[in-house]
Amino acid sequence: MSTETVETTKEFTAKDYKSDLKPIWCPGCGDFGVLTALYRALAEIGKPPHELAFISGIGCSSRIPGYSTAYGFNAIHGRALPIGLGVKTASPDLTVIVASGDGDGFSIGGGHVPHTIRKNPDITFLVMDNFIYGLTKGQVSPTSPKGLKTVSSSYGSQEEPVNPLLYCLSYGAKFVAQGTPADMKGLAKILEEAIRFPGFSFVNVQSPCVTYGEEKDMIKGQKEVMQSIEELDHDPTDKAKAIQLSLEYGTKIHTGIFYRDPNPGPSYTDLLGELKKDLQPKAVSKDKILDMFKPKLG
Amino acid sequence: MNNNLIIGMAGAGGDGVVSAGDSLITALAIDKYHAVLTKSFGPQIRGGESSFKLRVSTETVLSIGEHLDMAIALNWDDFLKFGAELPISEQTIVVYDSNTGILPENIPVSGKPAKVFSIPIEEMAIKTAKTNRAKNVVVLGLISGWYGIAESGIITGIRNKFTKKGPEVLKGNEDAFYEGVRYAKENPISGKNILLDQPHPEAKNKLLTDGNDICAAAALFAGCEFFGGYPITPSSEVMQLINREIWKYGGSVIQMEDEIAGAASTVGASFAGKKSFTATSGPGMSLKSEVLGLATMAELPMVIVNVQRGGPSTGIPTKSEQSDLFQACFSAHGDVVRPVIAPTDISDIFSMTVEAFNIAEYYQTPVIILSDAELGQRKEIIDEIDTSKFKIIDRKKPSAEELENYTRFKFTADNISPISHPGMFKGNYLAAGIEHTETGAPTSGGEMHAKMIAKRTNKLNPLKSRQDLFIVEGDKDAELALISWGSSSGVTTEAFQIARKSGLKVKLLIPKLIFPVAESVYNDFFKSVKKGLVVEQNFLGQLYHVARMFVKVPDGVQSFAKAGSSPFGANEIVNKLKAL
Repeated sequence: MSTETVETTKEFTAKDYKSDLKPIWCPGCGDFGVLTALYRALAEIGKPPHELAFISGIGCSSRIPGYSTAYGFNAIHGRALPIGLGVKTASPDLTVIVASGDGDGFSIGGGHVPHTIRKNPDITFLVMDNFIYGLTKGQVSPTSPKGLKTVSSSYGSQEEPVNPLLYCLSYGAKFVAQGTPADMKGLAKILEEAIRFPGFSFVNVQSPCVTYGEEKDMIKGQKEVMQSIEELDHDPTDKAKAIQLSLEYGTKIHTGIFYRDPNPGPSYTDLLGELKKDLQPKAVSKDKILDMFKPKLG
Repeated sequence: MNNNLIIGMAGAGGDGVVSAGDSLITALAIDKYHAVLTKSFGPQIRGGESSFKLRVSTETVLSIGEHLDMAIALNWDDFLKFGAELPISEQTIVVYDSNTGILPENIPVSGKPAKVFSIPIEEMAIKTAKTNRAKNVVVLGLISGWYGIAESGIITGIRNKFTKKGPEVLKGNEDAFYEGVRYAKENPISGKNILLDQPHPEAKNKLLTDGNDICAAAALFAGCEFFGGYPITPSSEVMQLINREIWKYGGSVIQMEDEIAGAASTVGASFAGKKSFTATSGPGMSLKSEVLGLATMAELPMVIVNVQRGGPSTGIPTKSEQSDLFQACFSAHGDVVRPVIAPTDISDIFSMTVEAFNIAEYYQTPVIILSDAELGQRKEIIDEIDTSKFKIIDRKKPSAEELENYTRFKFTADNISPISHPGMFKGNYLAAGIEHTETGAPTSGGEMHAKMIAKRTNKLNPLKSRQDLFIVEGDKDAELALISWGSSSGVTTEAFQIARKSGLKVKLLIPKLIFPVAESVYNDFFKSVKKGLVVEQNFLGQLYHVARMFVKVPDGVQSFAKAGSSPFGANEIVNKLKAL
């Protein structure tokens, strides 16, 4: 690993993760709260910013890496997960967070989700779910409720929404949680747990769009109905129950850890590391690599 | 003197045709001959007809050649399915299994071959090895006996292969081979057998490989530590060899869920500081374009090899074509210059793959290698490569001083800004597909955009003076010219040599750097030229047209472009040149 040793005893505060760039988000956007919760979670974990890689796709939420002092990669629409997987695989000691939105993560990039989950890399997949395409000014999104009228669904959406929680649970994600900036403290804790989890972790954040969203989804509206599942005595090791709770996505706002595999086992890069350790003694020196093409009879 | 032999053989699945070709070329490699072997199969996933064509010489073999010197048909139905790939002429000696029941005067070939042998191949196999599966061994004996080649190599090969199957099987196969040799000696081709010349006593040791395998090995040699890919014909072997080997060097390979993810993971690994590589073919290249644009914008090195096949769309996945040159040069949106490198032969694939990594890393850019099914999958005996003469270049890292106030996309004299990677203390920055300032902050300012495009474009200008990325040969003041690229270079070079021997004053240009177009190299070359041909295997004449975008190509220089999988013949090119 190429990470250079730095003083690790240093305590970090939320400010150490905040960059100088001013967010382009609309005043009151839920993503501000997500960002603040993330700074807090990172400070709690205390990994130095240069050992964090923060990858995103395209959309309002995908601007988030620029607002942190970590190494950021604000890439292209829908490809944050495979890019993040490449980063993590190439440099397994990094902490990798992939940020996305409902469109970026579950529409254009939706095909990558199951395949990243089944590899189980130690990556945190943070989706800011606002049920709308905000950056392109208000089109229907994969999590928009059926019937929602938008500029691209003038007569109401005809489609059932994706259920991100059920989606990730059903493909075998070992850590699935939901939070909201309406509960900043809870969200920071969820993010911290997700980042600490030694495998693929998914956090869906109901992050309201103040410009194109519906009134009931705003922070104020959420505060009235959100329900901590911890307070419901949910056991996060109970996957069946987690799936049951996830079915209420879209009708209720449950917050907390739906599922955390109590025996997560080795991550993808752990397994690759073992493979490399086994095979490295078999390497021929690079200047002799073409010896494999010496003609061999029979 | 007999310094050139072209053999073609075809049969049904299970006849061991391809394995006979492999045994023969391996034995020839041990004896230090030069040879090229192509294999062809029917469309079936498994089984079905198969064939090989092999050209052997004591000199470097530039192309697979045209008409066969010897055609071997284990049965005629299957042989004829390969029609144009195994052309028979009046110089061809035809050998077929007499169990087909066809009389020599009735064989289903047009024209009159030089000689026809109807031989009880199957019967000889059963008599010796007690199985018709040894037909291919009998044929190897015939070839070895007639041309005086490869005997000890083939016998050693038989021993290595059959010893573990018991003494009886081993003896049977040895006998089958010598049965073929005996037949050939008793029935010479014309009075006596015309033995192939012996290789030069001081000939170099040989390697035997194909373009895809050596491309993968070259990537590892160049320091590739990450490969993200997706299977696609005819490039999959690149990923497969890397999958076997890269772990040993601490690197990783991921077979991703699709072509886009393959490229995306590759650019991610490059962001993380590793030399990164992916391989694909036409349809995959289309899907990867957006990621290549991202790599240009974020100035991240990566190498991608496109092993071209017939297109567009699914096209002909198993057949070679050079029809993705336009795509390689122009497929990403926006103002983009991306280096495109086209190796000319199997040995050159090694050099150019190492070069592609060096260019990618030095200039912080994606680099496309244009290979094709012909180069990727043909087996070739090449001289051993001295790897010590290759320089490996790594991306320029920021100094301690530069890290004090790190500016990732800093404007510099050569437009190359030192690049950090996650994990590097104080090197933190935002990489982005969005336009950015020197620090990496997103911007929509037109002025900064123009400056950044100029930076990303102009940093590649020095490439255009790289004479070593061009082959220029022949008479300096020649008015006749041959120009070609990639897999058509070999046959064009052969045509060039034939033309010169026949007294024509001609010059040859083979660009290995396709893009950016090196105007000065073309302009120098064209100074004396009045007429000529740009030879390439596509319909539109893609190199011809790209050159004309940037260079004043003399009016008498024409495109000689041919779509599809039937390769050019050297004499075909010479005749066309003479007719200009």
